[in-house]
Amino acid sequence: MIKVKGLYHSYSNDDKYAVKDANFEIKKGEVFGFLGPSGAGKSTTQGVLTGLLPIQKGEVTIAGYDIRNPKKEMFNLIGVSFEQSNVYDKLTAYENLNFYRKLFDVKTRKPKELLELVGLDHVANKKAGEFSKGMKHRLTFIRSMINNPIIWFLDEPTTGLDPAIASEIKEIIKKEKEKGVTIFLTTHNMYVADELCDRIAFIIDGEIKLIDSPRNLKLKYGKKLVEVEHFENDILKKESLSLIEPKDKARLNDIITAGNIEIMHTKEATLEEIFIKVTGKELK
Amino acid sequence: MKKLWFCFKKDLVLSFKSWYIYTELLMAFVFIIILLFIVPENFDSTRTIYAYFDLKPAEMNRIDEFINESEDEIILLDSRADVVDILKKEKSSIGMVVSKQYRQLDYEIILQGFENEKLKTLMKTDFLMHFIEETPRYKSIVTTTTLMGNNEKLSDRLNMLPVFLTMNASFMGLFIIASYIFLDKERGTIRALTVTPLSVWQYLLSKVGLLVMSGLVSSFITAIFVAGTKVNYIGLFFLLVTTNIFGSVLGLYIASFFKDMASAMGWMYSVIILLMFPSFSYYMPAFSPLALKLLPSYPMLFAYRELFFEHGNISYVYNVCLMFSILSIIIFLMANKKFKETLTI
Repeated sequence: MIKVKGLYHSYSNDDKYAVKDANFEIKKGEVFGFLGPSGAGKSTTQGVLTGLLPIQKGEVTIAGYDIRNPKKEMFNLIGVSFEQSNVYDKLTAYENLNFYRKLFDVKTRKPKELLELVGLDHVANKKAGEFSKGMKHRLTFIRSMINNPIIWFLDEPTTGLDPAIASEIKEIIKKEKEKGVTIFLTTHNMYVADELCDRIAFIIDGEIKLIDSPRNLKLKYGKKLVEVEHFENDILKKESLSLIEPKDKARLNDIITAGNIEIMHTKEATLEEIFIKVTGKELK
Repeated sequence: MKKLWFCFKKDLVLSFKSWYIYTELLMAFVFIIILLFIVPENFDSTRTIYAYFDLKPAEMNRIDEFINESEDEIILLDSRADVVDILKKEKSSIGMVVSKQYRQLDYEIILQGFENEKLKTLMKTDFLMHFIEETPRYKSIVTTTTLMGNNEKLSDRLNMLPVFLTMNASFMGLFIIASYIFLDKERGTIRALTVTPLSVWQYLLSKVGLLVMSGLVSSFITAIFVAGTKVNYIGLFFLLVTTNIFGSVLGLYIASFFKDMASAMGWMYSVIILLMFPSFSYYMPAFSPLALKLLPSYPMLFAYRELFFEHGNISYVYNVCLMFSILSIIIFLMANKKFKETLTI
């Protein structure tokens, strides 16, 4: 659905590239995450992919359309949710969605249905300018779903939302994935990427460092550890034991046999730890 | 066309929920009030002359005759000192003292002091002419030939309307349309529109439509109140539509080169000031250098004026409409091309 080959982009039209030689393909129904810190080039890549930024060097096709000369029909197939809310403050939530749906040439979803989806139906007739930041973000998010996109671009979809609402948004994304929607998701939140993405790309300083599934990354770069808290001679002890090292395996066996375990869980490497390991930089 | 209509409707709703459209209507009403209640139908060109005549009653007969024939208002005072005192308060008046010295009449003209040499000479000549005309067998051989086909004149009040319509209706749109675009850029709403099948030209044209509509409403209100039936409304409609479109697309083209209002402001301001210069030629037709004639506001001003004449040159008005229609299409296409590259950057 999305093909990117040798993509470069420079805001100053020189060799100071915000995105350097990006290459990737996203299959139909896949959730592809772009994981990187602020200023890594995530939004720039999305900007080029959605036609907001001109393509300077490289090739990009979206649903078979060459982004260099995108046809208007292409925009019936895509949905874009922006990191910064950009709805009309003077219009109500309903008016915002109702105006937007009329710009598409395909069957669109009813504004009321979408507002219910994110719990904004009770403020449908309230001006968006009177909304909180989180409410505006939700309105921007559902607006991107109005044309039933088959390719959905999500820029930091849960940033700035409280955990309950962020969880609702993640559920919506999962449901759209089940319907076969291809999703390009940019985030600096490793948990969101881990939970939602089939594959992720680590991007830093405009360069993609690696692309793989979260599971493969954890297997490749993570350590298999078990953390256990147990009583030994009435003293509570906490130990991290490898599931690979024979010595640690024997020690774990002894602890289990003794039966004085309080807490025990496996400890996998987080994507953030892997990101730091691969790029040498933190996800901030 | 449906999308253009939806976009226009949205812009219309937004404009009614913001201040601009009300400001434009308010400005139109302020202008109407100023023209109808402050500006006279025609400016009074008569002077007030404060005079003291130090003459015997018998000698005053000729003076009375002079006062009656004068186009100026002459107020008689009791002494030269009174004349000087009142001139200190009435800065636009002059004084005159007439006395008899050795069987001759002595005329003293008292000026304010800021009058230039040209005016002094003109007054002196005017004064002398008055006596020359009294000379026996004096005959004027001056003949006047009017070269202009239509020497119809507008009242001073109506004469101000073309300037208002050109500057407020046609060229304020230049500034306003740019601010609409930059506001959409700043709020990011333009980005949301760019990722829909809406074309850039549809987005731009809906803004032009809004400006034309508000320009038409405020201009028609002004024309109805100030000129009443003394205007060709069909011609006014076409001229307002074409010149408003021209002003708006010119604003679009200038805005297409800039990222935000702050960086475009200097250019916008300079262009509006430049477009105001032909007003000099409008009020002083003798001063019409080619450089001013080439500015678009020049034909606009004179075309608007024709609409208020009883026998105005309507074909000139429609030629101006045609010219601005063609120019608008060209500039709009250029703005559209440029905005395709810069609208979301």
